[in-house]
Amino acid sequence: IPALDSQRHTRMEVLKEKVEEEEAAEREDAAERAERGEKMMRLMEVRKEETTMTQEMLRDLERKLSEIEVSIPEKPSTFTKDTIDISKLPLSYKSNTPKEEHLLRVADNFSRQYSLLCPDRVPLFLHPLNECEVPKFVSTTIRPTLMPYPELYNWDTCAQFVSDFLAMLPLPDPLKPPSYLYSSTTVLKHQKGNCFDFSTLLCSMLIGAGYDAYCVNGYGSQDLCHMDLTREVCPLTVKPKETVQEEEKAPPKKYAIKPPRDLSSRFEQEQEMKRQEEIKAAEEKRRRQEEERLMEVDSAKTDPLHGLRVHSWVLVLSGKREVPESFFIDPFTARSYSTQDDNFLGIESLWNHKNYWINMQDCWNCCKDLIFDLGDPVMWEYLLLGIDKPLLSPAEEEDNGANDDDDVENLGKEDEDKSFDMPNSWVEQIEISPEVFETRCPNGKKVIQYKKAKLEKWAPYLNNNGLVCRLTTYEDLECKGAALAVGSQGAEAPDMLWDLGHVTVSWCTKTLEIKEWYQNREDMLELKHINKTTGLNIDYFKPGHPQALRVHSYTSMQPEMDRVMEFYEKARVDGLIKREETPKTMTEYYQGRPDFLSYRHINFGPRVKKLVLNSAESNPRPVVKIIERFFRNPAKPADEDVAERVFLILDERIQLRYHCREDHITASKREFLRRTEVDSKGNKIIMTPDMCISFEKLLYQYEAMMKLKNEEKLSRHQAWESELEVLEILKLREEEEEAHVLTTSIYDTKRNEKSKEYREAMMTPKSTQDPGQDAPPPGALAKLRPLLHKNGIYAPTSTLGSPEERVMHEEHLRQVEAQLDYLAPFLAQLPPGEKLTRWQAVRLKDECLSDFKQRLINKANLIQARFEKETQELQKQQQWYQENQVTLTPEDEDLYLSYCSQAMFRIRILEQRLNRHKELAPLKYLALEEKLYKDPRLVELLKVFV
Amino acid sequence: MHQLCDMEPRVMDDDMLKLAVGEQGPRDEAGQLAKQEGILFKDVLSLQLDFQNILRIDNLWQFENLRKLQLDNNTIEKIEGLEKLTRLVWLDLSFNNIETIEGLDTLVNLEDLSLFNNRIAKIDSLDALVKLQVLSLGNNRIGNLMNIIYLRRFKDLRTLSLAGNPIAAAEDYRMFICAYLPDLVYLDFRRIDDHTKELAEVKHQYSTDELKHQENLMQARLEDEQARREELEEHKAAFVENLNGSFLFDSMYAEDVEGSKLASLPGVAELMETYKDKFVIICLNIFEYGLKQQEKRKAELDTFNERVQEAVQENQAQGRHRTAEFEEKHLLSLSTIRGESELTDIETKIADQREDIAELSNALMTLEMQLVEQLEETINMFERNIVDLVELFIENVQSLMAQCRDLENHHHEKLLEIAINILEKIVKGELDEDLPDDVRALFVDKDTIVNAVGASHDMHLLKIDNREDELVTRVNSWCTHLVDKIHKDEMTRNRRRVKEIIQYGDHVQGELDSLECGDILD
Repeated sequence: IPALDSQRHTRMEVLKEKVEEEEAAEREDAAERAERGEKMMRLMEVRKEETTMTQEMLRDLERKLSEIEVSIPEKPSTFTKDTIDISKLPLSYKSNTPKEEHLLRVADNFSRQYSLLCPDRVPLFLHPLNECEVPKFVSTTIRPTLMPYPELYNWDTCAQFVSDFLAMLPLPDPLKPPSYLYSSTTVLKHQKGNCFDFSTLLCSMLIGAGYDAYCVNGYGSQDLCHMDLTREVCPLTVKPKETVQEEEKAPPKKYAIKPPRDLSSRFEQEQEMKRQEEIKAAEEKRRRQEEERLMEVDSAKTDPLHGLRVHSWVLVLSGKREVPESFFIDPFTARSYSTQDDNFLGIESLWNHKNYWINMQDCWNCCKDLIFDLGDPVMWEYLLLGIDKPLLSPAEEEDNGANDDDDVENLGKEDEDKSFDMPNSWVEQIEISPEVFETRCPNGKKVIQYKKAKLEKWAPYLNNNGLVCRLTTYEDLECKGAALAVGSQGAEAPDMLWDLGHVTVSWCTKTLEIKEWYQNREDMLELKHINKTTGLNIDYFKPGHPQALRVHSYTSMQPEMDRVMEFYEKARVDGLIKREETPKTMTEYYQGRPDFLSYRHINFGPRVKKLVLNSAESNPRPVVKIIERFFRNPAKPADEDVAERVFLILDERIQLRYHCREDHITASKREFLRRTEVDSKGNKIIMTPDMCISFEKLLYQYEAMMKLKNEEKLSRHQAWESELEVLEILKLREEEEEAHVLTTSIYDTKRNEKSKEYREAMMTPKSTQDPGQDAPPPGALAKLRPLLHKNGIYAPTSTLGSPEERVMHEEHLRQVEAQLDYLAPFLAQLPPGEKLTRWQAVRLKDECLSDFKQRLINKANLIQARFEKETQELQKQQQWYQENQVTLTPEDEDLYLSYCSQAMFRIRILEQRLNRHKELAPLKYLALEEKLYKDPRLVELLKVFV
Repeated sequence: MHQLCDMEPRVMDDDMLKLAVGEQGPRDEAGQLAKQEGILFKDVLSLQLDFQNILRIDNLWQFENLRKLQLDNNTIEKIEGLEKLTRLVWLDLSFNNIETIEGLDTLVNLEDLSLFNNRIAKIDSLDALVKLQVLSLGNNRIGNLMNIIYLRRFKDLRTLSLAGNPIAAAEDYRMFICAYLPDLVYLDFRRIDDHTKELAEVKHQYSTDELKHQENLMQARLEDEQARREELEEHKAAFVENLNGSFLFDSMYAEDVEGSKLASLPGVAELMETYKDKFVIICLNIFEYGLKQQEKRKAELDTFNERVQEAVQENQAQGRHRTAEFEEKHLLSLSTIRGESELTDIETKIADQREDIAELSNALMTLEMQLVEQLEETINMFERNIVDLVELFIENVQSLMAQCRDLENHHHEKLLEIAINILEKIVKGELDEDLPDDVRALFVDKDTIVNAVGASHDMHLLKIDNREDELVTRVNSWCTHLVDKIHKDEMTRNRRRVKEIIQYGDHVQGELDSLECGDILD
């Protein structure tokens, strides 16, 4: 009964709320209509009046430049507003459109009613301030964008990208949603954000990719909120479950023979089984106890704020993009969780780009009992009427399939139909440049701590040995936990974990194994697996190693030690696929040879100490025994086809074993004693007739033996060559390890010099597609131009005519600029080879800056001078014209007019350039300053200085 | 040319051959060994008998494995005595007095044939030499250029020499040969260049095209015939050959004089027509049924063979595994025994080894006995099934044949009726049509006509019975043969395996014993 009551109560509440809401809406509508008469649009700031060029302005410029203070940008520990340059943001960031204002009013009203009706619930997270201190409704912060990278089309890769790309910041107050929610563009630019930033970006990308995704404001476990994966098993360490291939037992066919009668005692079997089971049970019990113990250790630290920590994540509902079941994505870790997961402790509200829903269900049992039917107003209270999630009516479900494909197109259409809909997003288009996309993590590096494992990731080409990923597995969990204050030296420690403003430093003591993944290496090394306990190293190679190496496992790079080399099949002429070595043996496996050799095993004896003076001569170990095995040669009858031959070199004995005949179970054998010049009778050879039934003449035996003697020689030679080859490979590997040259694809025009040149020569087809200079050209150019503008190198009045020429020119300039060393002339003044002192460094920097300042001023002066000259000239001409106007011939007049228009043009251009220079000079100055601070030669000294 | 003509012709006897073999045999140490043991003619691979003034090829039948035979520069007049040398690849008969090509019909592996400097006038009798690659016929008496066309059948022929023949003098000689033997690479020891080939092809295009067309037609005909033969074979295997048409019906009337006479009677023609139709339909039924049953039997046999094969393979694998295991152990213990110095230790070890051997033999035998039992059961099952199938087939065929007989009886009655009617008409003199004299002769009186009709009927029934009997006996004999063969095969397999096991055991035992002896001697 109480449950029913409460239910009824809620429903009534909801009804009441609705009525009030409608009334409020009506009132607002009326107000709005009244307002409409007035000027609605806030006028943008009108452009400043044309400024005339004066000396005053130059002085002003000079002053401005000197005003810029040289300050060390401090390492921002939190993502504060100060670090964001608001000035460049578009207008939509800085103000609200009337529609947005309206929405905010609606939201405020809604929020008031909500707090009235549900006084015990926390206030709603509706319109936090953005980076420009403007309140923005959360839904409008979501900017559905489909990324141009095919890798970002699926949710898992999208989430992985977001989690890699952004550095995680904790919430300012872990118990409250943040008061600021920045646009995704800003977040992307700075590559860091809190959980709300993460989920907003991810949600934008997922909705853009066609998923039914929502941002969730709720409560998460401590691990979740702090991106603490130390309790999770690293996904890379989890061995893929062996797919148990159940052999389909063919139904007993006709004429299948009956199995032989089982004569063993059933009773004994049962007893044995019982015994086994007991042992198993005991083991199981022990294991469980162990686990429990571990669990206890794990969960010893209980969180005092459990259930209160605010977190934001992404909910993906089933239906679109063939998602079979709704699930959560934690944007920090990019993991997907079922909606039943223990880490998600409750949901306050959720929103997408169209609407906002408040959870009206009880979260006493985490999110396990929640029903994500957003169309049900009892469970989910919506903010905007009309564009809610439609009730799951059967009609809707029927054409679900058809809708799936054109959902993205429908987005726009649906919006038009509704009376009041969510305004368009104020956020600019989310753009990720290919370079940044490739670099992924901030600074291209990322470290994740898992349970007993640490994962480090790097962007390709960042490490000059091609390392892209390293997984370190530790033996023990026991971490020496220590709480250190932020900013202490502990920050340098590799295993750093965030914990409420403190850093728990954990040192896992014993390394078990290290796995390193490489990319783009010229020696095709792909994965290096180092087992610390056994000391075994395993290198895996991609196809294409000069020696066709596939796997190389070794404990040391010294020859004649334990090692296994596997080769790519068919890549080698001799068909070798595997070579195993121990200090005394070498075993080779072959495949697909014309002589059907499949296996060769060589036993070496101890090295004979030679008293040879020249030590350069190699001293191969004596071969004691060679075993060679052959595949069946179908051209020969089985009892003439040798299956195995053993050369016992010390015994001077050769043993042959032939292949088994089809219908036989025993194989023929034969043995030769290769004793030269032994027999007293002067008969050089002794034959022991083979064991087999067949009788053969001595002549043939003699011939066979002669042949075998030759073969033995060849085999010994082969063994010697194999040894040499091992040495060669080892040498090659060492060289490769030292050189670690990286390859670049010919399609990678950024890195591959050759193809870059080629592309420069072939740029034309790409740029001719550009519609014109005004339209932003696609791809790299779009990103290139602003950069050039900033550096003052890109000259719009360039004499280069066609766009393609210009592009080439730009690229060239960019290259030149990149190579330019600002410090070189100043460094040259100092005595070479000495380390800079702190004082020198500061002076160097100041000199450099002041020099640059002077250059900027000079440039401004130059432009000014030209401008003045042109103006004077024009004035003179005008004067002359006015004086002689009457006497002029029409030709002269034409000449004068054309001169005038040209002069005017020149003056205008100069004016523009001067203006632009004025605008850009401070920026350039700042840019150089920053550059100097980051300069590897100065960075250390300047940092210490401050 | 024949420098040795004045010498007395020699006979190819044993001594001469032995001498030649001895001279051309292995040298050095191997030669010593060979001398000790003597060389068997059948082991000889290559034999050289040149400048021996041989008149007649003889005594070569023992050289079964001969690959290369040189008989050049003799006075041989006739190719003979080479029938047994079927492995021969290389035959040199140059500088002899041979007049016709003959006696080469068994040398199917011959690739290189030299008949240089003989008296051959016509290229012929080489049909068996399908692998021929090199043919040397220079300095002979071949006069007809069209004789070259005979060589078109040798698809592998690449080298040909005909220089020194009358045809070589012909103006068109080279071109002609190039055109007619386009696959030839060397002519008269010279390479034919592509240009010549093209020219020749253009020049003789008309005639070669025609020739090709004819050859193609012939080929097609041969293939057709082949296909037909195969089909008939298939039908025979199903025991229903020639039942897919009116063959049986026709054969019924083939020897039936009265029948054909009676067929000309008025009204009989239509009767015959319907009779034939019905009869052929039944025949077709039998035919189809037969094919179907054949399929069934085949499938049954296949599954049986497959299963048996599987079982045997598995058993063999087990056996091999056992022996391999044993061998490893055996070798190890042999070497330890060799290395052992204490006599008592040796003895205990040898005793152990002996036990092991016995155990292995027992295990292998057990495996074999197991398999035998299993297979016996399976074979019996198969036998029952196949016999059932055959019986069913026979039963159904017999019932169909009975339908044929019914038809025949019915026809007979009708025919008799018609005949008696006609007889009555004749007797009454009402017959309108004229009958041939021999037919009219039948209508002398009632007995004659009834006898005639009856004889025809009997003849038909006999034919039907014969066909049925043939089918039934053949099916039955096939069945019994099959079952016998399976039993026999199984028996031989079993015997062989048992023999192998025993031999192996003996051998291993022997090895051990010899070791013992050696030890004792030491």
